Amino acid sequence: MTEAAIPAARRSVVRLPLLGVKLSEPWLYLAPALLIVVVWTWAPLVGAFGLSFQQWNMLPHSEPRWVGLDNYANLVTLPDMGRAVSNTLLYILGLFPLSVIAPLAIAILTQDLSGPLRNLYRTLVFLPMIVAPIVAAVLWRWLLNEDHGLVNAGLSALGFARIGFLSDPDVALWTLVWITGWKLIGFSTLLLSAANAAIPASYIEAARMDGASRWRIVRDIRLPLLSPTILLLSMMTVLFGAQWSFVYINALTGGGPLRSTTNVFFLMWEYGFKTMSAGWSAAAGVLTFVVFGLAALGCLRLMRKYAVHDS
Amino acid sequence: MLKRHLLAAGLLATLAAPQIAAAEMAEAITEPVTITFYNYNLASAGLGREATLGLIEEFMRRNPLVTVEPIAAPSNEVLSRVQADMVAGMQPDLAQLVFRDLIYAAKELGAEPLEDLAGEELAAHSVGMVPNGLALGEVEGKTYGLAYVFSTPVMFYNADLFRAAGLDPDQPPRTWEEVKDAGLAITKATGKHGFFPGAYGPIDGTFVYQAIVMSNGGKVRDGNTLTFADPAAAEAVAMLRDLMDSGAHARIDVGAHLDTFQSGNLGMFLWTSAVQNRLIKAAEGNFELRVAPMPAFGEKPTAPTNSGSALFLFSKEPEKQRAAWELMKFLTSEYAYNEITTKIGYLPLRPGMVEDPKWLKDWVEANPMIKPNLSQLERLTPNIAFPGPNYRQVENMMKEAMTEAVFGSGDPVETLKAAQERGQPLMPAE
Amino acid sequence: MTVERGSPAFRIAVHGAMILLSLLAIFPLWWMIATSLRPEGEVFSTALFPASPTLENYRAALEALPMPRILWNTFAMAALTAAAQAASGLLAAYALVFWRFRGARTAQVLIALSWLVPFQVVMIPNYVLATRLGMLDSLAGLVIPNAAAAFAVLLMINALRSFPKEIVEAARMDGAGSLRILVEVIVPNLRAPLASLGVLAFISAWNEYFWPLLLIRRMEASVVQIGLQFFMTQEGNDWGPLMAAATMASLPILALYLVLHRQVIDSFMRSGIR
Repeated sequence: MTEAAIPAARRSVVRLPLLGVKLSEPWLYLAPALLIVVVWTWAPLVGAFGLSFQQWNMLPHSEPRWVGLDNYANLVTLPDMGRAVSNTLLYILGLFPLSVIAPLAIAILTQDLSGPLRNLYRTLVFLPMIVAPIVAAVLWRWLLNEDHGLVNAGLSALGFARIGFLSDPDVALWTLVWITGWKLIGFSTLLLSAANAAIPASYIEAARMDGASRWRIVRDIRLPLLSPTILLLSMMTVLFGAQWSFVYINALTGGGPLRSTTNVFFLMWEYGFKTMSAGWSAAAGVLTFVVFGLAALGCLRLMRKYAVHDS
Repeated sequence: MLKRHLLAAGLLATLAAPQIAAAEMAEAITEPVTITFYNYNLASAGLGREATLGLIEEFMRRNPLVTVEPIAAPSNEVLSRVQADMVAGMQPDLAQLVFRDLIYAAKELGAEPLEDLAGEELAAHSVGMVPNGLALGEVEGKTYGLAYVFSTPVMFYNADLFRAAGLDPDQPPRTWEEVKDAGLAITKATGKHGFFPGAYGPIDGTFVYQAIVMSNGGKVRDGNTLTFADPAAAEAVAMLRDLMDSGAHARIDVGAHLDTFQSGNLGMFLWTSAVQNRLIKAAEGNFELRVAPMPAFGEKPTAPTNSGSALFLFSKEPEKQRAAWELMKFLTSEYAYNEITTKIGYLPLRPGMVEDPKWLKDWVEANPMIKPNLSQLERLTPNIAFPGPNYRQVENMMKEAMTEAVFGSGDPVETLKAAQERGQPLMPAE
Repeated sequence: MTVERGSPAFRIAVHGAMILLSLLAIFPLWWMIATSLRPEGEVFSTALFPASPTLENYRAALEALPMPRILWNTFAMAALTAAAQAASGLLAAYALVFWRFRGARTAQVLIALSWLVPFQVVMIPNYVLATRLGMLDSLAGLVIPNAAAAFAVLLMINALRSFPKEIVEAARMDGAGSLRILVEVIVPNLRAPLASLGVLAFISAWNEYFWPLLLIRRMEASVVQIGLQFFMTQEGNDWGPLMAAATMASLPILALYLVLHRQVIDSFMRSGIR
């Protein structure tokens, strides 16, 4: 963080003529984002926190009933909870290669290709992003179907056994990981390519002049300078892996076959958000928020520790 | 704004307008009135939407003082929509809700009991309706939901696969024993799948499952006691498991059963008759589609239950109540059922129309595939909704357990028992 | 500019891998387009190309829905949301990176953690608030609650942190005010991250479903995700029209990507200068 601009900040206080309020400059810049977030996210969350200890359907003519920690207890002790937690970890692990590693490789490897081809590859890899998630879900369900799906038709033409991509409990989770990742590669590639492009060419040139090999340039210059983006993407995978796969679980398997594809977020949806009970729903929300919030704080610590900044 | 918002989130009860004491419904509509109609047929393109819009238009033509504001929401969202609007202080007037939400709509959302609201008018209006059909919307002896568009589970079958397996398509299986034999024959002769019910997937409700259970004399609950693991109910599930173990029951992607059947890879498919028109179109030029009543357990009569929806009246103001009630009557009139049956493909709740040359007689003759469905109307058994604030969670647990009992490797009865024990504490105490 | 380097074998391996990945990426899209061109009875065919292509499904989709109107609504909603998120994100990041002040950390944590609040929790209270503010059926109602996003702020913080401080310092020495520095010095050099943020924010707004479903009642105010659901019912999907509508819904994003992607490239080209 630069110290240079700070004296300027001390001096500048902005007067809002109508309100007669004095506001220091950085708060003025922060205001739009902060205001939106507080009004539309934090305030309702605080309300939900209160609701999570009650049994109520929010209707004006019904009475809220205090139930203490019952809503939380009901959720945490759901029989599928253990399975959901371990599946959530599998989803995260499975997504990493698709949300971080492959895009990183694409961004770096295509950087040295000539312009038109580089853009062509990046554009093609980006294309899955433009399909609505629900459409992506049904397209893949179709392509992977055991009976009328093209992938299985291809497999059996090549002499392999047909695979129940969505009906075999050993395979279904990885199918969903693939579909989730397929949509994500373009997203991560775009971010990493933009970050990669922002690395001043002079750095790379200087290293080349010094006779550094391709690999050394990647290791000593590109990776460190890309590390904030890599960490951001890694953090997103950890925090949102469960949510990203939710659309596909909900549309394709409903957590099955035999609970093999359920995860924490889906369970919260099924027994919390989707129900008509505001208490369960609020408890599910608070629970998700707290658990992933703690994970996020951990990630942020890591980020602060390992991110290298160009300053 | 922030303060106001916090209040909104936490203290809605105190902020909302005081409840209007149950007033008498207005005798007649004397001045212009606007009512909202929450409807899920409007939320998807096609015949259902067009026919519904046509009905609303015709109603407004006949009742020039009434403006109907249709609000479309998909069937799995329409209840939350109604609830959200109540929370936001916009009282809905009329809503089309699915039967699983019956008790919740009656007890929690404050739907009006029609006997109290319309009394004699209701009695007069229900003349000619299937008595079982009216019972579909009853909670504790009063009608809260007026059955509107609904269908029953029927057995669609692929006559080409029957022939390829050496079966007679004119003799579709009538019992589960025969389903098993036919399923095995199809699997063996064609390599395609034998039988599959639409009972396990994300978009399937529990009505096919409940119909199978009730056909064996079981019930999923009795009062506030869960009974889906009791012998008669569990036996029905164990029967499905036996079909599965034998290979007659397909083990496919539960969310794609309809596609599997449409693409000609499934012999017998037990699902809602509401998809009949769609299947007829899909089968054209691909395979010969036929329809049979749902299978029975030996000689026991089947208990086809209903999928679909009822109309619920939520208005609190006398004029709006009158307008909503008039719309409700119109939507369940002979004119409306004529439209609904011929254009959308749901069952007519007024069976007399089927014999009446003025209404459906000619149409039924031209569309014989509706007959197995019509024949089930007289045995129509109400779908059982769950009570209490946690009804959806309980229903969910039951469905998960049933699916695991059929698809899993554990003992099916034990699986159901375990779920029943977990679910019972979530039911209302008394 | 970098020069193409590396052994031929390495280059071939890179091309091979990229071609495979590209095929995997676009095949389902091809399937979407191919299906949208198939007549009804042919929908479940596994032929790669439709045997008798028809525009019937497009006609059906356009007849069932006022597609141009819906696409325009969605475009306006997504563009405004993306612009608002980029602006609010840039401003907040500017404050958080270039000033040190009491409360900065709290503000940053408040913004970052807001990301983790599941939408379903805030949905009903926000609906109530939007209703009271008269934002039902309005563009404002669709955009304002999403006008700031934690992701946008964090992405901009990342971008600003690696921004050369000397340039800002030099501008300050020249007596430029903070707003002028932002507009004249920082924004022109931040085109790549801003463009990529714009693309991503646009797409996520474009794909929004639950909030518009709640907020929008009139068909003329509807958005494309709700339109797509029109062809997916509890009683099965209308494959042909669904795929036709999905194809039409994808084209605007593709166009936007192609336009903004140039920004990303251009800024790379010019990055040698700074």
